[in-house]
Amino acid sequence: MSVALATSGVAPARPVRVRVLVVSLVAVAATLGSCLLAPLVGSTSINLARALDWSQPWATNVDAQIFFIARLPRVLASALVGAALAAAGVVFQALLRNPLATPFTLGISAGAALGAMLVLTFGGVFAAAAWATVPLASFLGAAGAVFVVYLLTVARHRGFSTHVLLLAGVTLNSLFSALILMVQYFADMTRAVQTMRWLLGDLDIASYAPILAALPLLVLAFGIFLWLPRSLNLLALGEDQAASRGVDVLRTQRLAFVSASLATGAAVSIGGPIGFVGIVVPHMVRLLIGADHRLVLPASLGFGAAFLVGCDLIARTVMAPVELPVGIVTALIGGPFFLWLLVRST
Amino acid sequence: MIKAVAVFAVRCVIVVLLLGFLADAQTRPQRIISLVPAATEILFAVGAGPRVVAVSSYDREPAAVNDLPRVGALIDPNVERILSLKPDLVVVYGTQHDLKTQLDRAGIPHTAFTHGGLPDVTAAIRAIGARTGDGAQAETVAKEIEQSLAAVARRVAGRPRPRTLLVFGREPGTLRNMYASGGKGFLHDMLHTAGAENVFADQLRESVQVTTEMLLTLRPDVVLELHSAEGQADVSAWQSLPSLPAVRDQRVIVLSGSELMVPGPRVGRAAERFARVLHPGAF
Amino acid sequence: MISARNLSFAYPARSRPAGGRPAVADVSLDVHRGARLGILGPNGSGKTTLLKLLGGVLTPTSGHVTLDGVPVGRLGRQAVARRLAAVPQDTHPAFDYTALELVLMGRYPHLGAFEVEGARDLAIADEAMAATGTREFSSRYYSTLSGGERQRVVIASALAQQPELLLLDEPTASLDPGFQIEIAGLLGRLHAERGLGFVLSTHDLNLAASLCDSLVLMRGGAVVAAGPTRDVLTRDGIAALYGIDADVGFHERAGHMVVVPVGRIAP
Repeated sequence: MSVALATSGVAPARPVRVRVLVVSLVAVAATLGSCLLAPLVGSTSINLARALDWSQPWATNVDAQIFFIARLPRVLASALVGAALAAAGVVFQALLRNPLATPFTLGISAGAALGAMLVLTFGGVFAAAAWATVPLASFLGAAGAVFVVYLLTVARHRGFSTHVLLLAGVTLNSLFSALILMVQYFADMTRAVQTMRWLLGDLDIASYAPILAALPLLVLAFGIFLWLPRSLNLLALGEDQAASRGVDVLRTQRLAFVSASLATGAAVSIGGPIGFVGIVVPHMVRLLIGADHRLVLPASLGFGAAFLVGCDLIARTVMAPVELPVGIVTALIGGPFFLWLLVRST
Repeated sequence: MIKAVAVFAVRCVIVVLLLGFLADAQTRPQRIISLVPAATEILFAVGAGPRVVAVSSYDREPAAVNDLPRVGALIDPNVERILSLKPDLVVVYGTQHDLKTQLDRAGIPHTAFTHGGLPDVTAAIRAIGARTGDGAQAETVAKEIEQSLAAVARRVAGRPRPRTLLVFGREPGTLRNMYASGGKGFLHDMLHTAGAENVFADQLRESVQVTTEMLLTLRPDVVLELHSAEGQADVSAWQSLPSLPAVRDQRVIVLSGSELMVPGPRVGRAAERFARVLHPGAF
Repeated sequence: MISARNLSFAYPARSRPAGGRPAVADVSLDVHRGARLGILGPNGSGKTTLLKLLGGVLTPTSGHVTLDGVPVGRLGRQAVARRLAAVPQDTHPAFDYTALELVLMGRYPHLGAFEVEGARDLAIADEAMAATGTREFSSRYYSTLSGGERQRVVIASALAQQPELLLLDEPTASLDPGFQIEIAGLLGRLHAERGLGFVLSTHDLNLAASLCDSLVLMRGGAVVAAGPTRDVLTRDGIAALYGIDADVGFHERAGHMVVVPVGRIAP
């Protein structure tokens, strides 16, 4: 066996084991690095030493307040949302066998948006109800959309038809978008602007509560993500090809759908539907390290986090003190990126 | 002969009166439609109320409008409906260019209402009064407003002006998606008249989206939240920033009422309500 | 090794063609180790469906398939994959994998849930690529290879599974004659050198004649003839199956039977 290897002439640059480790470490480093540096920068200049000075009383330590209340939750939210959306993008692309799929292709963000719109527009009616908050409503909306799409997908035969999944998702997307426009139409000026603003994404969460609320879902989703990559590689060849190599195709598809939907729903409930992260990051990662999902998924988690932390940083500093919605920044980066990809490939 | 002269004189007077009356009737619009709630209130205030035949979807005041047909608003004016009501004056928003073109084509006179600062409100009252032939009444209303504003300013003169954040919209239950008055516009002017300093006085726009970092940097002494309708306004969300002077000193104040956010004839009353909560000692 | 009894399969109602006949109707056959079995029939005769049923990828609506006596449905998918490997007509990966990555995917049934390929797996993959003459492509992207090269890589991926039997679905249908001969030669060599059996579905009469020692003729989802090639591949048999008049004979230089279609038979 070792003789065969010595004369083989097949020597990959590094064994896969090592590559997975290296990529995972780099991803973690990118995430940590961005999370540590980003809170230091903002529209107001703060002094880190003073912010971390515990001897100063909290109530008068503005630097500490800005750091711990305005910036740190925001950076953590950006990291989590970026990681979730990028990884969900990878998984949906593998599930639908289409590199152009995004976490929002199947109508999840439209469902979330509808939930958020209803609360923003008619929230006054439920003012007393503590549960009628935008994050919860948007998550319920996302869950509703996922539920409908899933039912449609498995209704016709016992299997899981990705063809029907895509059609159902796109149809639901259109339906929800129409409903959203209708709700916006009936809202008064201020509310209409607020709902429009929510659609562009907002990571200024100001407290750790939305993160903590979404954390169990994200942990569950990320846990399933750990299990999927190899099966996703085989699924990329086709359902039959994957099955003939021993993959439990149905289970893989179900898990992929559930985990990616969970991650997307949780992400949208924290920061709204921030576009482009779920497609730009997976493509960038594949350009750099190839298509093996065992590398692409961890890398997307890490670089998704760093990417969105960076975009949010730009969003809150480039036109200070006024903030640009983060969805605009990701779009302004994502659009040209795709143009470049197109030019490069022709 | 004197009799003949007298009769002639009386006839002349009658003719002149008739002519005058006719002339008046021709220049005074009899069927007015208003697409702007503030303008509707102004129309009623200057005495043109009985001649208003339709209002916008968002009109609530005064009570008489509730029986009137609706013709849409800024984004969705119902041109068909407007034309079918055969108006002779339509009050539109300054930005409704398409609607203005269509009214021109139909030969219907229109006048534009643009939101601006407090001086623009009294100017608009006078302009609308002139247009509807109620110039005298309009002048009275405008003067009244100017006097009441001056009275408010006098009451609070010399008192320290608290740094105030004037919020007119936010996501229920949290401090996200919050909009406050910038350094321009009638809300800012009312705040200034009522004896406060707008924390966003240097932002020359009518509305500013407020972020947490801004709140922590600007540290307002008072937060005034405006709500157009009565109802539970929950301010517990502000407790997440206990270090803000407004929260610490319990000066997060909610004001509800339809007159608070309309640049119309009730701005004087609105400014007084601001002043009462900002400087209770002055009243 | 594989034993199929009374297999029937019908696709779900909506995707069935009008008329709704089952794709495979009451088919029984046996495949032994080292077999060189050909499944011959016109398009739509159920060849591909039958192959999928034999491989356990599809579950029959009635009848059963057993692998060495155990029903295929009861063995885990990975257990089946360690013994049977399928090569489809063409493979279109959704993402850009290299040839080596594709071949290594054949190691899936031998690895644990989180196990990564080790030296042994790389050696097996290398051996498979050597056998198929694809070693020089190992770091090239699959999408940059020609049709014949791609098919050889897919076969290498199947070989990496270390199966006891290959199931090939029209493996040369989309290839030009040069590649057809190449693949045919490869399969012949694998059988001769390793005793690797295969079940091959095709509508290419000459391919079946050159490679297979026994044939199953299918039409309309049912088996119309089965047996050793020289017995089944006759002028009458071909006329009944395809409706064509053909000459069947032994070709000296080629070393196997050949079929020369002469004309269509009026129905």
